[in-house]
Amino acid sequence: MDRMREPFGRSRRRTLKLLGAVGVAAGALSVGTLLPVEVAFAETLGMPQPDEKVADTMKRLFGGRPVQDAGGRLKLDAPLIAENGAVVPLKIDAELPMTKDNYVKNLYVIADKNRRPMNARFSLTPEAGRASVSTNIRLASTSDVRVIAEMNTGALYETKREVKVTVGGCGG
Amino acid sequence: MAVGQVRIKVPEKAKAGEVVIVRVLVTHPMEVMKFKDGKPVAKQYNYIHRVEATYNGKPVFEAETTQSVSQNPLMAFPVRVMEPGTVKVTFQDTQGKTYTSQAEIKF
Repeated sequence: MDRMREPFGRSRRRTLKLLGAVGVAAGALSVGTLLPVEVAFAETLGMPQPDEKVADTMKRLFGGRPVQDAGGRLKLDAPLIAENGAVVPLKIDAELPMTKDNYVKNLYVIADKNRRPMNARFSLTPEAGRASVSTNIRLASTSDVRVIAEMNTGALYETKREVKVTVGGCGG
Repeated sequence: MAVGQVRIKVPEKAKAGEVVIVRVLVTHPMEVMKFKDGKPVAKQYNYIHRVEATYNGKPVFEAETTQSVSQNPLMAFPVRVMEPGTVKVTFQDTQGKTYTSQAEIKF
């Protein structure tokens, strides 16, 4: 009777059970052990590296070197209020030199209140022509977002703005 | 959308010495957790962490990203083109997979 009413019911339940078991097994394997596919983690700057306070991030990245305010030369376009913290569009545009001897080597995007404040590092060459980069980031909560331009000479320029976040974007 | 689809957008034509903005996107979940019934059940680090772009074989742009970059990472970066050529972009995720695509820039 059971088989008659739900012709696929039994096999579907069985399939789901099997998938569930595979999922649990995969979960158990991926937590705590370093499988070959996860070797890339050791190189990544994101999780599972530990949480950090922004002051420590700054120290780790720049070793206490002075960071100057960029004045008007480093522009950060970001929404005043981000409805969705999971997709916050950023547009960085610098009027800083891009010559062989003096160019913007790195642009760091740092979100003060994220668990790991450094969101991304963009690296350019003099061939880029202009330090202009856009991307979308995730913000856990209302936070200052800062962009730091690191010149090949080591000089650091910073600009920042606060982005209010209505719904946090880091999966709670 | 399948994971790992790379889209590149460049202007149709450029002039020598012009700074061209290249827009790239790769479909990717950018996740750190595995969810079941809306609840996190296990850690699963699967996000793009490296982006490399070359123009005619020469490296022009590179990025190190974290899980704090949005799902389906979108990036726009500049290239000053002195001659026509090919821009090639490669993304690498923490599972070791790479996704790549290229586009022509014509004069």
